[in-house]
Amino acid sequence: MTGGPRQLNKARKADANGNPAYPQPVLGNPVSTLMESGVGNCFPGLEFDLRQLDVRFFPGLVFEFLGITPAGPDGTQGARLTYAFPKGDPIIADKYTDDGQAWVTDLKKQYAGPAGAALGSGTWYLHFVEQDGKRIMLYDYSLYQNGVGLVPYEGETAWWIIRLIEAEKPLTIALTQRAADGSPSGSPVVLTGRRRMFLNDEGMIDPVYHPGELTSSMCSPWTHDFRDCACHYWASNHPDVVLGEVDDPQQQLPDGTDKDDPAQAVTFIDWMRRRHLPLKDVSAQTTLEKARPDRYDPYEINLHWEELDFVLQGQESKGTTDLKKLQPQEPYEQLEELIEDLHELAGMELTLALEYLYAYFSLREPDGVTPEQEMAWPGLTEDVRAARQLILSVALSEMTHLRWVNQTLWLIYAAYPEMGSYEPVLSPTKIDAGPDSKTGHSGTGVLRPATQNVLQNFVDIERPGGDLDTEYVKLVAYLREYMDHFPEGLYQLAVRIDSDGMQHYQKFRDVKRILQPYAAQEALYLRPVQEAKPDSAEVQPALDLVDIALEALRKGYLIEANLGDMSVANAEIKTARDAMHKLSDVALSLARKNIGVPFFARLQ
Amino acid sequence: MTAVLPELKQRPASGLAHVADDLLLMAETAAIFGLSGVQAAELRSALLAGDRVAAPVLARLGLEAPAAGIPPAPQIHPVRALALTVSQTCNLACGYCYAAGGSFGGADTRMGWDVAKRAIDQLIEATVPGGGVKIAFMGGEPMVARDLIRRSVTYANKRGATRAIQVGYSLTTNGTLISPKDAAFFARHRFAVTVSLDGGKEVNDRLRPDRAGKGSFKRVAQRLAPLLDHRDRISLGARVTVTPQNLDLSQVVDDIAALGFASVGVSPMISSPTGQGALAGQDFARLLAGMMACGDAWMSATLAGRAHPFANLATVLGELHRGSPRSHGCGAARDYLAVDAAGEYSACHRFVKDPLGAMGDLDNGPNDAARAAFLEARTVERQSPCQTCWARRLCGGGCHQEVLHAGRPACDFVRGWLDYGLRAYGRLNAVQPDWFDAQP
Repeated sequence: MTGGPRQLNKARKADANGNPAYPQPVLGNPVSTLMESGVGNCFPGLEFDLRQLDVRFFPGLVFEFLGITPAGPDGTQGARLTYAFPKGDPIIADKYTDDGQAWVTDLKKQYAGPAGAALGSGTWYLHFVEQDGKRIMLYDYSLYQNGVGLVPYEGETAWWIIRLIEAEKPLTIALTQRAADGSPSGSPVVLTGRRRMFLNDEGMIDPVYHPGELTSSMCSPWTHDFRDCACHYWASNHPDVVLGEVDDPQQQLPDGTDKDDPAQAVTFIDWMRRRHLPLKDVSAQTTLEKARPDRYDPYEINLHWEELDFVLQGQESKGTTDLKKLQPQEPYEQLEELIEDLHELAGMELTLALEYLYAYFSLREPDGVTPEQEMAWPGLTEDVRAARQLILSVALSEMTHLRWVNQTLWLIYAAYPEMGSYEPVLSPTKIDAGPDSKTGHSGTGVLRPATQNVLQNFVDIERPGGDLDTEYVKLVAYLREYMDHFPEGLYQLAVRIDSDGMQHYQKFRDVKRILQPYAAQEALYLRPVQEAKPDSAEVQPALDLVDIALEALRKGYLIEANLGDMSVANAEIKTARDAMHKLSDVALSLARKNIGVPFFARLQ
Repeated sequence: MTAVLPELKQRPASGLAHVADDLLLMAETAAIFGLSGVQAAELRSALLAGDRVAAPVLARLGLEAPAAGIPPAPQIHPVRALALTVSQTCNLACGYCYAAGGSFGGADTRMGWDVAKRAIDQLIEATVPGGGVKIAFMGGEPMVARDLIRRSVTYANKRGATRAIQVGYSLTTNGTLISPKDAAFFARHRFAVTVSLDGGKEVNDRLRPDRAGKGSFKRVAQRLAPLLDHRDRISLGARVTVTPQNLDLSQVVDDIAALGFASVGVSPMISSPTGQGALAGQDFARLLAGMMACGDAWMSATLAGRAHPFANLATVLGELHRGSPRSHGCGAARDYLAVDAAGEYSACHRFVKDPLGAMGDLDNGPNDAARAAFLEARTVERQSPCQTCWARRLCGGGCHQEVLHAGRPACDFVRGWLDYGLRAYGRLNAVQPDWFDAQP
């Protein structure tokens, strides 16, 4: 016999010390579980535990839904108040003004009065909820031989009732303390208010929920896929889609991936695809129904787990990584070399930012597309709009990188004073493009409109494994190797810049694809912009603004590098930002006159 | 007294536990365990040999029996149910009546409005806002005081509403005076109505004559229709007082069910003020056999998915499943008090005018000290034959009023019935466990 006789009825189990026979069951994940712990759940709505939303169903209060312990009902089951903290609730904190909603103001007053004071101590339980004149008491009434027993509903039942409460209607709740047997005692506290809306006006989950709170009751099994377990709350933790392994990131093989469409690197594929099918390069399907025939069923994971790839930073990786492949061809041997390269990289970020900006201003504005053109070229307006946004976003990203590379420099100088002192790098680097350059004139400081050829150059210079990326790969490799010798965060910063390159690459590919249909008539999307002479009077205000911006950045960076007054530094950065905003306006009005700003005119 | 069942010839020697078929009931915790055939046989003989033999056998199964001790003095909390003895008179004259024709041995009296009002006030005021209370209208025949009932309900609803207290109502009646308007009123206020009936026409008329000696069955049957019309809103049941004259329970239950009752409960007459009509001796064996026959019929119907009116087995099964061990047989004095026409509280409706159950009066409110003393004295752990009985925590020591006036003549019957209930529990739990989930 194992385990002793099985108990059949619900009688409490006995214990010599009066304790429950079993300790409280451990529910869900450890408190350290974060939202990110479940990255690939296939059931929308099960990314978190719905029930956790309702622990804060009433603004200002936090409940927990306690079940019946294995030892039987002990008077603690139901919706127990964990704590009342009205001031910590954004609904109350944000809207408690005279012009706030009346019910919020009223609720705040209730919390400020005896009700709030009473809830500050003792153990309270939800007693009833009332809406639309209907009151539900959270008790089982049992009548037996003239005795009336009030047995509190268990937490799950209390939650069923709570979830039926409608939003945007008055709601009255009462909380009470309990006698040892769970029956109400003392005077209950009654509160009127409304149910919390789980999403805020922006459609985001209410910020009252703390990170990890909504998943804290869930399980994170990683050895099996519980997607088909629709009856319970499982957070799966494998990715649905991944980037395929890049066989040849440096394009060193003669049969390297196709130059125009290295699908392996940029197409999301199904991580669960059946490996014996030739599906390696096929995009993941958009729906589960479509994907299902070609992927392992969840139960098969146990049989095929060895075939599934490791995924590092979103990318599949088979077996042992060939470290040699990760190493740049020419690792830095001296810190000086690194510093020298960083100077070049900073300049390159500035050069590219300005080249991209010029291309941006060369695009027509969506509003300028005439109805006739739109009629003849349906979608032209939106295509132009999208292209502009994408190019501008990359230009802005390069400006951010300009700062990050400078920051990397000043942190290195701070760590190694013997290497010299930091000077902001705010002048462009221009590379000499040889006749067989793969990247055309990108990075040379030549300002060009966004023709198909130019866009292809942009794609090429940002390509993973391209020259720019290789520089950053070297930086990342070096900082990883000597991480302990540099200030905290430097390595992460380098990784961040490097991985942004992938996005730039994809964005330019998208822009080129979007504008491809108009290749034969580039005038449809391009202005006939001509770069003005450096001394042209019309562009001097724009060039002044570039100077102002760079000068302000120079001052700001210096203050930051020397750990000076941050408020002054921030003021400088703001000056630079304002100048760039003005520059945007000025350059745009010049562009409307088909005048291109010679951004590099005064820069050395 | 004579043994009821062959296997219960003697009181079992051990009060630690009881084995029925392959089920084990732990006496102190009311927990029920499933046993293998071998375990059941071993335990059964060990329990017959006494506690000293049984305890280690239980322990070997991981079932150490906790020591039974005197429980802590019960907490006195406000009464949750109140019987208003609205009429201490009755239009019938049943020979066995605990109220001796409704008068409780005194002159016929009807409760005045002042008494009812003050009793309701005290009940509501003592209750936690947002809670619930029950008011039971008792007699005599309460419908003699129809106006007082209506006025009390209206008042209690209003009074309860001011404190957000839900008031539930029940009424125990002989059914002879109910009018269609009464039924509509009961339906509106969701009464639980219990009609006392003792069997089919012949049996009932012999046991429940009116004051002129005429039978009451026909009148009850005629008056039932309006109650049955409101069956969806009135919780309607029949209650049979079992005396030596109506021990053919299967017939009795069938005859009453034929009137339209979906629920028929039986209770044995053990203590009657006149000494008339109480069960004694071999009567209990017939009673048990009759109840078991009704129980078998109930079980067959339930397993076949049909309803059966016999209420006692369903109640026992529900209680066994709930598994809450009790120290008292009922809620009298703890949750429940009665108020009589003179404004005096008693432990329950059967203790009206009985000094043994006096619990204060309306002038001073319920006497909590008396309630505490009563409960402490009546707790089953203090009852001398009960301490070593395996059924003590299910039975709770029996009806206080009967025990104080007639002792415990029916313990073998009670054990026999609980033993039968345990077997039935095992059967239903194995075949149709869902049944228990559906119980309120």
